[in-house]
Amino acid sequence: MKFLLRLAWKNLSRYRKRTIITAAALAVGLGAYIFMDSWILGIEKESERNLVWYETSSARALDDGYWEQKDRLPLKYTIDEPEAVLGWLAGKKIPAAPRTVFGGELIMHKDPFLEDGSLTLRVLAIDPVKDDTVFRLKETIEAGRYLEPGEEKILIGAWLAADLGAEVGYPLTVVTRTRDGYYQTIDVEIAGIFNCPNPAINKGTVFIPLDTADRYLEMNGAVTEINLRLPEREDADALAAALESDLAGVAPGLDVKSWRDLAEDYLAFAGMKKSASNIILILVFIIAAVGISNTMIMAINERTKELGMMRALGMKDSEIRLAFLLEAGGIGFIGAVMGVVLGVVLSYWIVSRGVDMGGLIGDMDIGYRVHGLFRGAWHPEAMVTAFIFGIVLTVLVSFLSTGRALRRGIADSLRYS
Amino acid sequence: MITLAKVSKNYRIGEIMVQALVDVSLEAEQNEFLSIAGPSGSGKTTLLNLIGCIDRPDSGEIFIDWQAVSARNKKELALFRREKLGFVFQTFNLIPVLTAYENVSFVLSLLDIREPEIKARSMAMLREVGLEGKEDVLPGRLSGGQQQRVAIARALVKSPRIVLADEPTANLDSKTGEDILKLMERLNKKHNTMFIFSTHDPMVMDYAHRLVSLHDGRIVSDERRTK
Ligand SMILES: Nc1ncnc2c1ncn2[C@@H]1O[C@H](COP(=O)(O)OP(=O)(O)OP(=O)(O)O)[C@@H](O)[C@H]1O
Ligand SMILES: [Mg+2]
Repeated sequence: MKFLLRLAWKNLSRYRKRTIITAAALAVGLGAYIFMDSWILGIEKESERNLVWYETSSARALDDGYWEQKDRLPLKYTIDEPEAVLGWLAGKKIPAAPRTVFGGELIMHKDPFLEDGSLTLRVLAIDPVKDDTVFRLKETIEAGRYLEPGEEKILIGAWLAADLGAEVGYPLTVVTRTRDGYYQTIDVEIAGIFNCPNPAINKGTVFIPLDTADRYLEMNGAVTEINLRLPEREDADALAAALESDLAGVAPGLDVKSWRDLAEDYLAFAGMKKSASNIILILVFIIAAVGISNTMIMAINERTKELGMMRALGMKDSEIRLAFLLEAGGIGFIGAVMGVVLGVVLSYWIVSRGVDMGGLIGDMDIGYRVHGLFRGAWHPEAMVTAFIFGIVLTVLVSFLSTGRALRRGIADSLRYS
Repeated sequence: MITLAKVSKNYRIGEIMVQALVDVSLEAEQNEFLSIAGPSGSGKTTLLNLIGCIDRPDSGEIFIDWQAVSARNKKELALFRREKLGFVFQTFNLIPVLTAYENVSFVLSLLDIREPEIKARSMAMLREVGLEGKEDVLPGRLSGGQQQRVAIARALVKSPRIVLADEPTANLDSKTGEDILKLMERLNKKHNTMFIFSTHDPMVMDYAHRLVSLHDGRIVSDERRTK
C-alpha cells in the first residue's frame, strides 16, 4: 500500500505535463460549472428579490373569489373593509399596503405627444403613504416626483415613457370601467417616471393614487388586495398560511397568497430556464469527462507493457487497480482544487462586478426580473459538488480504463508496443 | 522441478492458425542453467510465458513442483509468481519513475517483509550485480547493461526458485551480454536458483549447461553440456 502510494506520487510528478494538462482540463470544466451556477443563482436571487420588492410583496391578501379570475383583473372580488384588516395587521406590526388593480386603456393625444395612440395595460392604484412600507417603487423615481393622495396624477415606467416619448407633466387619459361596469375616463398628468429594476413593472404598469381610483371606479373604500411585507422570505408560504387562518376571524373569506403563489408563472419559467442551463452544465461536464477519459486511456495504454510486467511479477489485479486509482485520484484532486479556485475567482468577479447585459438585451423582457447588471451569488454547495464530482469522475474513468487494460492477457500486454 | 507434458499453444491471426508450440515435453531440475534456443518465431517466448504462468496452454499440462498449473486460479498464480518466480525481459521493463533501488525493493514490499530487511536485501542484491552507488539513479540514466543488471537484481532479490529470462542479452552489446551471463551463472551456483533463458545467439548458448533447441514450436534437440 505504501509502495502503491509512492508509485502513484512518482508517476504524478514524473509525468508532470500530463498531470497538469489533465488536471487543467478538469479544472476548466469545474470552474465553468461553478461560475455558471453562481451566475444563474445570482440572477435568480435578484429576480426573486425584485419580484418581492416591486411586484408581488411577500404575501398578499385577496378575496377568495379573486384568484380564479385574476387574469381578468376583476373588480368584483374585493376586500370591502380593508381598514379592519389593516388595523389588525398594524397590531401585529406587519407592514401592509392596500392596492386596487384594474385593466385600462391609456390614451395619448397628439401634442404634446407626437401622435395619437393608445395601449392596454394594468393600472395599479396605490396608497402613496402606505405603499412604500411594503414596496420600493418610490426609491426608483427617476424624473418628477412620487404620487400624493387624492391628486389626478400618474407614474409611468421609464421604458414605457421612452416608447411613448412621454415626459413629466404630459397629460394622459385612462379609459376603464367602474366596479359596476360603466365606462369611465380618468384624466391624469404624469407626476413622475420611475425606472425600476424589475422589467415587468417597468414595461407595462402605471400607478395612480388609490383614493383617486376609488372615486372614479366607485369602489366605496374597497380594494382588490392588501400586500404584506413579511420578515423572512423563505417562510413566506408558512406565514401566509398562518395569516390566512388568523385573518378568517377578522375579515372572513380572504385568501393569503405567498409570493411563491403570486409568482408562479415566473417560477415555472425560471424552472424551465434552470433545466435548460442544467443541460449546458451537463454538456460542460461531458466535455470535461471526455477530455479526461482520453488522456487517462492514453496514459494507461502507454503503460500497457509496464502493467503486464507488474502483473508478471505477481502484483494482483486489485493492487494494479489501486495504483492507477491513486494516480487518477491525485489528478482528480489537483484538478478539483484548481477548479474550485478558478470557480471562486470567477464567482468573485461575477458576484462583485457582474456583467452589464443592458447593451445586449436592451429593453427585451427575457423573463428574469433583472435588467442591466447581471450579478452572481456565492454558492458553496456547488463548489463542494464540483470538487467531489471532479475526483469521482477521474477515479471512475481510471477504474474503467484500467479494467479494460486488465482484460488483456499478461503475455499480450508484454508483447504490446 | 518443472515438468511440461505435451504442451501445445496456438494463436489465431484472423483466419490463420499459428502453431506456436506443438506437443512440447520437458523436465527441468532445480539447479539448472538452461537455455532455450531457436530462431525468431520458433516459440521461445511462448514457452517461457507458459512456464512463467502468465499464459495458459491450449492442451497439455505444466507441473511446477508436481503441482498442476491449470488447477490454480488467476489470483493464486499471481501470488505464486510473486513468491517463487523471477522474470528478466528482453527490454528490461523497469518502472521508469522509480530509482534502481526502488525497482528492486518493490518486489519485496509486495511480500510480507519488513522495511529494514527489504533495505538490507535490496542493497546487497544491487551490490552483487555490481550497481553499488547507482541505487538512486532512474533507469533512463542507466546504460542498457546496467538496466538489465537492475532487472536481474529485481528478479533475484526475493530468492525465487526459478528465474525466467527472455533473450536477456539481445539488447546488449556482446561484452555486456557476456558480463550478464557470467553474473547469471554465478548467481545460479551461489543461490541454487533455476535459470531458464531463451536466445538465438550462439555465444549465449555456449554458456548454457543444458541447451534445448526449438524449431517451429517443436523441441528438436536437448543436450547437456559438461563444464
Ligand atoms: N499473441 C500472439 N498472437 C498471434 N500470434 C502470436 C502471438 N504470440 C506469438 N505468436 C506467434 O507464435 C509464434 C511463436 O512466437 P514466439 O514469440 O513464442 O516466438 P519467439 O521464438 O519468441 O520469437 P522471437 O525470437 O521473435 O521473440 C510466432 O509465429 C508468433 O508470430
Ligand atoms: Mg520472443
